[in-house]
Amino acid sequence: MAAPRSCVLWSYCVRRWSRLMRTGGPQWLHSSLPGGSLGVRLLSREKQATETHFGFETVSEEEKGGKVYQVFESVAKKYDVMNDMMSLGIHRIWKDMLLWKMNPLPGTQLLDVAGGTGDIAFRFLNYVQAQHQRKQKRQLRAQQNLSWEEIAKKYQNEEDLLGGSRVMICDINREMLKVGKKKALDQGHKAGLAWVLGDAEELPFDDHKFDVYTIAFGIRNVTHIDQALQEAHRVLKPGGRFLCLEFSKVNNPLISRLYDLYSFQVIPVLGEVIAGDWKSYQYLVESIRKFPSQEEFKEMIEDAGFQKVTYESLTSGIVAIHSGFKL
Amino acid sequence: METVISVETGGRLVAWVSSYLAIGPFLAWAMVFPFKGPRTPEIDRVFLTSLALRPRGTMGRQPCPTHAPGDVAAMATLLLRVLRPLSRLLGGHCPAEGVSLRAGIHGASLLYPDHIPTSPLQKALLAAGSAGMALYDPYRHDMVAVLGETTGYYTLKVLRDQMRRDPEGAQILQERPRISLATLDMDKLRSLPEGSFGCEYLRFLEVNRVSPDTRAPTRFVDDEELAYVIQRYREVHDMLHTLLGMPTNILGEIVVKWFEAVQTALPMCVLGALFGPVRLRAQSLQVLVSELIPWAVQNGRRAPCVLNLYYERRWEQPLAALREELGITVPPLDMRVLS
Repeated sequence: MAAPRSCVLWSYCVRRWSRLMRTGGPQWLHSSLPGGSLGVRLLSREKQATETHFGFETVSEEEKGGKVYQVFESVAKKYDVMNDMMSLGIHRIWKDMLLWKMNPLPGTQLLDVAGGTGDIAFRFLNYVQAQHQRKQKRQLRAQQNLSWEEIAKKYQNEEDLLGGSRVMICDINREMLKVGKKKALDQGHKAGLAWVLGDAEELPFDDHKFDVYTIAFGIRNVTHIDQALQEAHRVLKPGGRFLCLEFSKVNNPLISRLYDLYSFQVIPVLGEVIAGDWKSYQYLVESIRKFPSQEEFKEMIEDAGFQKVTYESLTSGIVAIHSGFKL
Repeated sequence: METVISVETGGRLVAWVSSYLAIGPFLAWAMVFPFKGPRTPEIDRVFLTSLALRPRGTMGRQPCPTHAPGDVAAMATLLLRVLRPLSRLLGGHCPAEGVSLRAGIHGASLLYPDHIPTSPLQKALLAAGSAGMALYDPYRHDMVAVLGETTGYYTLKVLRDQMRRDPEGAQILQERPRISLATLDMDKLRSLPEGSFGCEYLRFLEVNRVSPDTRAPTRFVDDEELAYVIQRYREVHDMLHTLLGMPTNILGEIVVKWFEAVQTALPMCVLGALFGPVRLRAQSLQVLVSELIPWAVQNGRRAPCVLNLYYERRWEQPLAALREELGITVPPLDMRVLS
């Protein structure tokens, strides 16, 4: 069912061309044609109209990418500490629940987008390793011997503890990736990891490559969420799963009031005291308010072509896990 | 279900207190009965306000919804009553939307370029947090600055008024000079004769390897002139080091803090002076208490307010003459011996 290569190439070219045209196009196209100036005017009007939100500010779309990059560049070193402080450690449970929902088997190829500091990837590796060991124990107990290859590899210390699973961590921000790599070294994760610098709206991967695509607390920072979802659909294999863990709308009004209070009064203060950065954490809490609700986001995922889209709200809606399948 | 309740002061107080007492069962009820389904602002308003208890007077200006579910109304009104007094503390944190404070950060209500508007609760949290962090990690100079900004509002007013009364101080307030590498003429300072204030200041910067550019801009002061006053205080800090002859090690900093505490009475200086010595060795502490602090306090009392000096015009003045003018004596011991 894979699309023919020429079709892929064509769609890639079309995408590149439309992007080029959107940013004004090359100079020769404008100056030589008499209708060129009209074309430029049309294009520039379209460009002025594309504004988006950066927290509660309004910025142009080009600016947003740069500003988000700066935010994460400045918070990268204290990212994990701040996560613990802000969520009082609950973010670990949320990420664990994402893994339990994913329930990956050994041999899964995971793409973790916006996974800079590697929280999801490391949990995935631990989970899959535990699964693999459990599977091997089950086999031995059922008096099924391991294959000769596996035994030979064990003696040579070459066995793949992950059972063929691999995780690719993709992030747009170099600083976050640096912090993640250091964490990987500290925690002793060596095998099965790959680090890639890439944009969620334009992933540097071929079609139909991954079994699972996750994006945890990253998709609200993307300028064009629909493009990120389309890219997710593209790189997943048929039968692949899309999982998104993100802050969402709280359903209980009382808890929502308390949550708003905490978000706007306490979190920027924590950011200033611990990380020395008020503005980034102000952006964080504002961007959470700007993100669509569970139902709206579910519709956006369905629009990108995913089927059987469901969501589960955690902690009365403070975060939600959305899941969809590419069938 | 129209219940008209009068809201004159006594009745308001009674209702306020009783609402606090009633909040307990209400919270328990709210936890057990989660509000399922998509939440919209409309449903928010319905849940939290009610036609019956719309107060007369200045307590709140929420728009009135047209209906409220019957059994929810009574509980909701109690919640409203409870949370409305809090809204003042939270700086106008609007119950139904909660947007007013957040919207203020962008553009509209900024008093000066780096201003970040904060509610009283945020200021209190910032003051506590920055004090703790400054003690925990003495290298976080920005925390000391934040502590000064959040706690110094009333003291800064006193300082500003006192600056206005003094002719040189009033000139500073009007002209607003800033001390940074961009505004200082380093060549001119280097060319000044030995023993002049400018020359000594430059030597101080070079020996201690500090630069006048490391001061963070003021952010949390909610008045533009007071923001300048505290910025001037920070920039003048290095001048004080030169005047007092103190290096930038921890002992020197504490001595200067004592001097500043006596001079300006800023809460941050007082706290720094009292809690700074916590991290000192016993020997240094002994020297500090027996000789340096009394000297600093004496000089602080004797000298006129140091913020009133227009330092940019006094570069050529010999340091000894300046010290005599201010009544500052030479330090009691050679500070290099102690570090």
